[in-house]
Amino acid sequence: MSAGNLPTKEANVLKGHEGAVLAARFNADGNYCLSCGKDRTIRLWNPHRGIHIKTYKSHGREVRDVHVTSDNSKLCSCGGDRQVFYWDVASGRVIRKFRGHDSEVNAVKFNEYASVVVSAGYDRSLRAWDCRSHSTEPIQIIDTFLDSVMSIGLTKSEIIAGSVDGTVRTFDMRIGREISDDLGQPVNCISLSNDGNCILASCLDSTLRLLDRSSGELLQEYKGHTCKSFKMDCCLTNTDAHVTGGSEDGSVFFWDLVDASVVSNFRAHASVCVPVAKREAMEGHSS
Amino acid sequence: MEGDEEDMVFFGTPITREEDITTTRKKKSVAEASGQLRTLPPWKQEVSAATSLTRTLTDENKDSFQVRDEEGRRRFHGAFSGGYSAGYYNTVGSKAGWAPQTFTSSRKNRAEIKQQNIFNFLDDDEKSELEADSLGTSMQFDTFGFTAAELARLQAENEQQQRPSAIPGPIPDEVVLPATDSIGVKLLLKMGWRHGHSIKDSHTNSLYDARREARKAFLALSAKDASTQLAAPEQVEVDLEDVKELPSDINQYSESTPVYVLNPKQDLHGLGFDPFRNAPEFRGRTAPGFGIGALEELDAEDEDVYASGYAFEENYVQEIEEPSRLAIENKKMSGEKGDGALPGFKIASNSDYQLERFAPPVIPKDFVPHHKFPAHLEVNYKLADVPPVEVPPPADNNLKVLAEGVATLVARCGKLFEDLSREKNQSNPLFSFLNGGNGHDYYSRKLWEERQKRNDQTEQQSNGNMFPSAKKMTAESRGEILGEKPLERSTRVLSSSASSADTSSLQFNLSDTFTNPAPFTEPQEIAKPFRDDPAKQERFEQYLKDKYRGGLRSKDSGGASNMSEAARARERLEFETAADAIQKGKWGSESRPANQQLLDLSTATGLQFTSAGVEQAGVGQAQEMTMKGMYPKREEFQWRPSPVLCKRFDLLDPYMGKPPPAPRMRSKMDSLIFMPDSVKDAKVEETAALRKDLFSESKEVTDVEAEVEVEAENVERPVDLYKAIFSDDSDEEEENSNLNQVEDPQKKVEVVNTTLSRLIAGDFLESLGKELGLEVPPDVSGLENKAGISSIYKENANANKGDISSRSAVSGSYADQGVPQGKTYNREASQVTVSDKHEGLDVNTYRSSNKTADPDSFLEKSGKVKLEKVVQEDKNAKTPMGKRGWSSGSSDDETSRRKSSSRHRRRSSNSDGETTDSSDDYRDRYHSRSKGTKKRSSRDHSSSKKHSKHRKHRSGDSSSRSSRHGSEKDHREAHREKRKWKE
Repeated sequence: MSAGNLPTKEANVLKGHEGAVLAARFNADGNYCLSCGKDRTIRLWNPHRGIHIKTYKSHGREVRDVHVTSDNSKLCSCGGDRQVFYWDVASGRVIRKFRGHDSEVNAVKFNEYASVVVSAGYDRSLRAWDCRSHSTEPIQIIDTFLDSVMSIGLTKSEIIAGSVDGTVRTFDMRIGREISDDLGQPVNCISLSNDGNCILASCLDSTLRLLDRSSGELLQEYKGHTCKSFKMDCCLTNTDAHVTGGSEDGSVFFWDLVDASVVSNFRAHASVCVPVAKREAMEGHSS
Repeated sequence: MEGDEEDMVFFGTPITREEDITTTRKKKSVAEASGQLRTLPPWKQEVSAATSLTRTLTDENKDSFQVRDEEGRRRFHGAFSGGYSAGYYNTVGSKAGWAPQTFTSSRKNRAEIKQQNIFNFLDDDEKSELEADSLGTSMQFDTFGFTAAELARLQAENEQQQRPSAIPGPIPDEVVLPATDSIGVKLLLKMGWRHGHSIKDSHTNSLYDARREARKAFLALSAKDASTQLAAPEQVEVDLEDVKELPSDINQYSESTPVYVLNPKQDLHGLGFDPFRNAPEFRGRTAPGFGIGALEELDAEDEDVYASGYAFEENYVQEIEEPSRLAIENKKMSGEKGDGALPGFKIASNSDYQLERFAPPVIPKDFVPHHKFPAHLEVNYKLADVPPVEVPPPADNNLKVLAEGVATLVARCGKLFEDLSREKNQSNPLFSFLNGGNGHDYYSRKLWEERQKRNDQTEQQSNGNMFPSAKKMTAESRGEILGEKPLERSTRVLSSSASSADTSSLQFNLSDTFTNPAPFTEPQEIAKPFRDDPAKQERFEQYLKDKYRGGLRSKDSGGASNMSEAARARERLEFETAADAIQKGKWGSESRPANQQLLDLSTATGLQFTSAGVEQAGVGQAQEMTMKGMYPKREEFQWRPSPVLCKRFDLLDPYMGKPPPAPRMRSKMDSLIFMPDSVKDAKVEETAALRKDLFSESKEVTDVEAEVEVEAENVERPVDLYKAIFSDDSDEEEENSNLNQVEDPQKKVEVVNTTLSRLIAGDFLESLGKELGLEVPPDVSGLENKAGISSIYKENANANKGDISSRSAVSGSYADQGVPQGKTYNREASQVTVSDKHEGLDVNTYRSSNKTADPDSFLEKSGKVKLEKVVQEDKNAKTPMGKRGWSSGSSDDETSRRKSSSRHRRRSSNSDGETTDSSDDYRDRYHSRSKGTKKRSSRDHSSSKKHSKHRKHRSGDSSSRSSRHGSEKDHREAHREKRKWKE
């Protein structure tokens, strides 16, 4: 994808949330989009046509993260009520609630088979919940973090999580090892490259850092945006050619992956080709 | 026959012949088969039977003999022919008599169970009567939905009858839902109201009643002798309170007080006046939707979200004020119509009261709605000007005085004054110097001088303002007063290799110190980065204020409410950068202390999220480059995924078949390491207290011991203890190497501190051991410790001539106190050091073997230690060589056991004599060690813990150095032994 193909303005504005939007996620094939926010709802949209499809209400506090399975049948969400909700997409009912986190839950993710939900909490722990059994107890608790865990990434065999203690930790289930990459700065959001070889970590010193997974080397730093106090999403574009991330002033930045130059930068809420959160502009509202 | 029959009168039922009976039976069966009989009511059935029996009777006869009610139903049956309404028909309800109707066998006919209600026992006419009495609301005003529900039910019943359905029988009420259920009902139900109850709030009433009762009782008690006159006003008062307490709904007023008393008519409305008829509230205004359920709690953030959206208060009808305002409106309206005038009056053609309206003043287009102060700005602008050449005053004294006066005034009031006076005195030749005429040079010079003077003054003022802030206590000065060791900001620590030792030593330093960041000085008035836009400047100042005050920022500060969100966010960022720049000292004064600037730098680099702000401040921007070199750093640990997790991820469990993990130590560590800062404070104070205890009381060591122990028990778990136990020894070694430089007194002080903390740690270690259910290696008696410490202190005092740090100074004074007591210790100290010097190195072996060990392995090892000890004891018993060693060793072991069992006993048993004993024992053991290596190493291992405390002073001791080389060998040997063990 050349720089010319990068989006420069929002394709659609999805209106409906009655408060700040805290996260927005595309589904696996990119046809639908989920958003959640401070109004305690999760909303399902068709972003291409700008249609609001469904609202999921059950959370008692703000909803901080949401994720959908690859077959679009189940949702998981988490938020300020310390619970992880496991939803049925079609009926909008909560199938299960996983309780156990000691404080707010920052992020959730399904694994590849949608059998496990992994959640990351402010209580410095990472918990894995079993969707197959009826148990509401976590099947794994990882609490080696020293501070709030902000973001999760899952591969087929690894759990990767970024924490405010400045580490990106990879838990490899095949070899039973924990690999901790200390970045020295609080990590806000992590994102895997599409080939799975790199981690993009958004740090609170207004820098995105690209790490090599196998060696732990710092490959590149991307600067120019502002990210000091909010959780801002970042990710790589579908072709891994560009890095994109939000800024606290409400703009979306695109960097070239290799030479870290700012390719594109526009003030917007939404970016369409990549699931970058579109919450920047609303962030001011909530703060 | 015919006539006979006619004349005869029959009473009762004649005995029927058999054929007759059979025929009636036949008839009955036929009727049953046709379904006719079932449909007939019972009395009809009987009548038909009776008629068949008394066929011979004429209708008249029947009437005369059978008692019937007005419906034609027979009243008397069977043998009864008297005046009683008898039989079962209108009483029991069945031929079976008083068989319990409620019981039905549920096995066969489940569906036929139905509940009885009053209609089962009522006749049709009675039913119709009842229905006539009942009132239904018309659909329009069906607030509670009763009518709608009833109608729906009836309709459903009708439908049910018309066509067959899957469920036989009448439709239960639950199935048929009321068509309408108004929101009011829903709300009321949620608030606890039920159908059939009044809406009146019973709670307040009961409360009120209770209060009244209480008041009555009080009155009766207090004013028994008081007359009844007093009671009457009291009653009134009570009523008044009643008014206050109850909500202002007329329906709810208590019956005792009539409404007109409570709420006297104060307006002039007539009968039938409806204040809400023309009310704007009911003029087709739509109510806004509710964002939140009525019963949900609102917390702060929720309010934040919705507060800006809706203003709920405005939606309520304000019943008190509304009528009067409307009354006026009404009057007006009637006045306009013209037919509202009283008879005899006519409406004035022009009202004498008219609102005079004035057009708003025209605002010039170039008007800026902010006042500017040109004078103030002037001062700053002119500062950089090149001073005009000095000119001799003009000859005319008058002119000179005038010029000077004007110059002073202009300097004071600004350029505006000059312009004004120039304009005014254009024609006046005396003021020609203003326009560059005579004496202009002198005037400009004077003006410059005056301005200079004024600037100096303002500068002085501002400096004067600044001085107190500059004199404010810094973290360092405060630390000095409190007797803290200043945080090391030397490059030695920071630029060392990026090993874990580095960070841990840093942490170590931190754990010994606590410093508060110096309070930020209030932002100076000089700092005005947005001079050109006063509104913005105002907002900026508000922002600064908020920032330094801390806490939550109000959402829309200042006049920024009309700005868009994005603009506001951008402006905030701008403010942030400006504030940073100010802190860096671009605008601010340069007189701030250096460390404060460092702090500022740290905030400028955006480290707000880190908890250990002080430490990071020390690193600062200069270290950013080294940080970049350090990060990212990779570490690897063992991690055990749960089998279920592996299964769910479709992976093989790497730990399959291995024993389940040992109980996690981590949680305990966690809870200890993440202690609040107060713990550190407590520790510092505690150690200070300890030192005082140690050196002020020089007479009885045991007493001191007891005190120390008490103190130690109160200690909240010190952090560095855990490091001492579990972390690898690289940092310790580094400290060791530092220790060897006797010239470094500060290090020495640190060592003393660590030893002290170790002292505490010793006690704590034991308690920890108990917690973990392990036997902790025996402790060395505190006396030796003391000896070591005192010797160190002595050295310290010698080395400590200068004033390196507050802490060292303090310890120096301690050492002074401790001199006489140190003498007494000296002998013991030398003994101890001699005996201990080898063992000290064994500690190292233990530590190095433990390098990579996690807590689990540590546990195992200590368990092993215990085992080994037992084995060794056995061996000792066998070998004649170690006889003495054994006896003393066993006693030692015993004492250690005693120690672990009860601390107090151990303390009391530890007298001076025993200490020397034990030191002898050590020596003996050393001898025996040279023979049986295995035994020795195990012994060493067991005693490694206790010696860890001594290591510091020992290595610092000069006498130990001579034998250092030899002991190095021991070290290696022991290390090998360790390896064997491991395998």
